[in-house]
Amino acid sequence: MATLTINGKLETFDAPPDMPLLWVLRDVLGMTGTKFGCGIAQCGACTVHIDGKAVRSCVLSVGAVGNREITTIEGIGATPAGARAQKAWLDLEVVQCGYCQSGQIMAAAALLAATPHPDDADIDAAMAGNICRCGTYVRIRAAIKQAANGRQS
Amino acid sequence: MRIRILLGIAVIVLAALGIGVWIIRGPGPLDFSAGSRVALADYHDAKPSGVPEKLARASLVERGEYLTKAADCMVCHTTAGGKEYAGGLGFQLPFGTLYSTNITPDKETGIGDYSDRDFLNALHRGVRRDGAGLYAAMPFTSYASMTDDDALAIKAYLFSLPPVKAVPPQNKLVFPFNQRWTLMFWSAVFNRDARFAPDTSQSPAWNRGAYLAEALAHCGECHTPRNLAFALDNRNKFAGAVAAGWRAFNITSDKATGIGAWSDDDLVAYLSLGHANGHGTASGPMGEAVDHSFSQMAPEDIRALVAFLRSVPGLTSTDLPATPAPAAPAGHKDGVTADARGKTVFEGACVSCHGWSGQSPVSPMATLTGAWAVNDPGGTNVAQIVLSGTHRLTPDGVLSMPAFGNAYTDDEVAAVTNYVTARFGGKGSKLTAADIASLRQQTAQ
Repeated sequence: MATLTINGKLETFDAPPDMPLLWVLRDVLGMTGTKFGCGIAQCGACTVHIDGKAVRSCVLSVGAVGNREITTIEGIGATPAGARAQKAWLDLEVVQCGYCQSGQIMAAAALLAATPHPDDADIDAAMAGNICRCGTYVRIRAAIKQAANGRQS
Repeated sequence: MRIRILLGIAVIVLAALGIGVWIIRGPGPLDFSAGSRVALADYHDAKPSGVPEKLARASLVERGEYLTKAADCMVCHTTAGGKEYAGGLGFQLPFGTLYSTNITPDKETGIGDYSDRDFLNALHRGVRRDGAGLYAAMPFTSYASMTDDDALAIKAYLFSLPPVKAVPPQNKLVFPFNQRWTLMFWSAVFNRDARFAPDTSQSPAWNRGAYLAEALAHCGECHTPRNLAFALDNRNKFAGAVAAGWRAFNITSDKATGIGAWSDDDLVAYLSLGHANGHGTASGPMGEAVDHSFSQMAPEDIRALVAFLRSVPGLTSTDLPATPAPAAPAGHKDGVTADARGKTVFEGACVSCHGWSGQSPVSPMATLTGAWAVNDPGGTNVAQIVLSGTHRLTPDGVLSMPAFGNAYTDDEVAAVTNYVTARFGGKGSKLTAADIASLRQQTAQ
C-alpha cells in the first residue's frame, strides 16, 4: 500500500509506483475532477499542485511524488488564491464546455499564489501550456485579473 | 647504378608510406597507459575478461547474454518496434546510408550459417562470411580486443534466439564508398586485430574496466573523435565527438569539461541509471546504452569502468564553459529572455515540466540545470531531444518526454533551442532552421 497527502488528507491506496498520478487520482481514488487530455503534458487538463506548484499529473509517476503535498481541483477552493479564482470564474462565466477548466483554474491558482498581481506577460508565461479548444482565453485572462484585483476589469 | 637509385627511391617511398601509416593510425586505444603489457593468459592478478563472479558458473548461453548486453549489440541491430537483432537500422553518414545486418540465427538472412571462425572473423577482423569487408560502423576495431571465448559466448547466445527472416534494406552509399573491396586497405591500416593485453602497472579493476570499455561497451566509437579516414583518433581519446547526430560529451578526466570533477557515486549513478543529480540525464544514444547495456551490468563492473575512466588523460573541450551554469531565476521575466519566439514555444510546451529555473517540479531527471546539453553552445542535444523526445526507464518507472519534431517547424525548434541554451547554459546557441533540418536528416532512419 502507498500513501499520498491529497488536499490535506492522507490517502492510502494500492498502485504500482510507475502509475501516473493522474490514474491514481481518477481511477484508484475516484477523484475525477482532474481531467485526462493528451497524456503527454502538452494540454494542461490534468494540472494539479505539488507543494503549490502546477504540474502535469499525467506524466508524473506516483512513486516520484514522495511526501510532497498534492492539491487537486477538489481542494483548491480551500486556498485563498484558489477561492478567488473560482469566484472570478463563476462571475465571468468563463467556462464553455468545461473540459479544460479544472486545469485552467489550477494553473491560475498557482500563478496567483506566486504572483498576486500578474500582468499579461505573467499570465502568458503561466497559462500558455493550458489549452482550451473552445477558445475561452479572453475570459480566462479577464478572470485572472479580476481574481487579482477583486473587481471586474 | 640505375638499379641502386631505383632501389633507393623504393626504400624511401616505402619508409615514407610506413611513417605515413604510423602517423595516420596514431596510438592504440590503451597506449596512454605506459605500463608493461602481458598476454591475457600470463596475467594472474584477476580475470579482466568474461563475466562477473555471480555468473562464473552460469551456462555458456547465460554468460553470452551478459556479454552481448555489455557489448550492446541490440541497439544497432534492432529497429524501433522491430524484432530484436533482426537488423535494418539505418545509419546516416556523410556519404550515404548504411543498414545494420540481421544477426539472428536465420540461415538464409541472418548469421545461422556462421561457423565459430566466421563469427570471429567478423567480430575481430571486420570480414563477412563471404569474405567481403564490413564497414567500420560495425565497431570491429573495438571488438578486436575481445577474447575468443567471450566472442563465442556471444555467438552462443545469439544462436539461442529465435531465427528471424529479415533482409535489411540495401546500403545507399556514393562512389567510392560503395566499393567494399577498398575496406581491406582501411582495415590493414586501422584495425590492429589485437586481443586485450592487461597492463601490469594498473589495478585489476582498471584492467577489467579497460576490457569492458574497449572490447565490449566500445565507448570510444562515440566519445572519441574520428580522423579524416573515419578511424578513431586516440590522440584525442574520449575528448567527445558528434555521432549519429548527437554530441557525445568529453569523458576524459578533465576537471572542467570532462568527468574529472564528478564523484564516483555520480559516475556510478549516471552509468547504471542514466542520471546523476546536477549532471543531467542520458538521452539519445547514451540513454539507449544505459537502458540496454550499462543498467544490466553488475555493480562491480560499473565500478571497474569508473576506475578506468578516471585514468584517461584529461583533454579540455574548449567550446564548453569551465563550469555549467547555475539554476536560472524562478521568474520568467528575469534571466535571459532575448529570444521572444523561443520563449513562446518554451512557455507553451516545456515549462510545465522543466520550470523557469530549469529545476524540474516533476522529477530530478527532468532538471536541466548542470546538464552539458544546455551548456553546449552548439545546442545539438537540446535540439535533438526536442525533435525526438526521450523515453527512459527509471527506478520510479518510465519517464518520457514527447517528441516535438512533428509539432514544430525547424524555425521554432531552432528558436526554443537557442532560448533554452541561453537561459539554462553559459552561452546560448545560434542555430538556424537549416541546422535543424540537417539534424533531422542525421537521425532519420
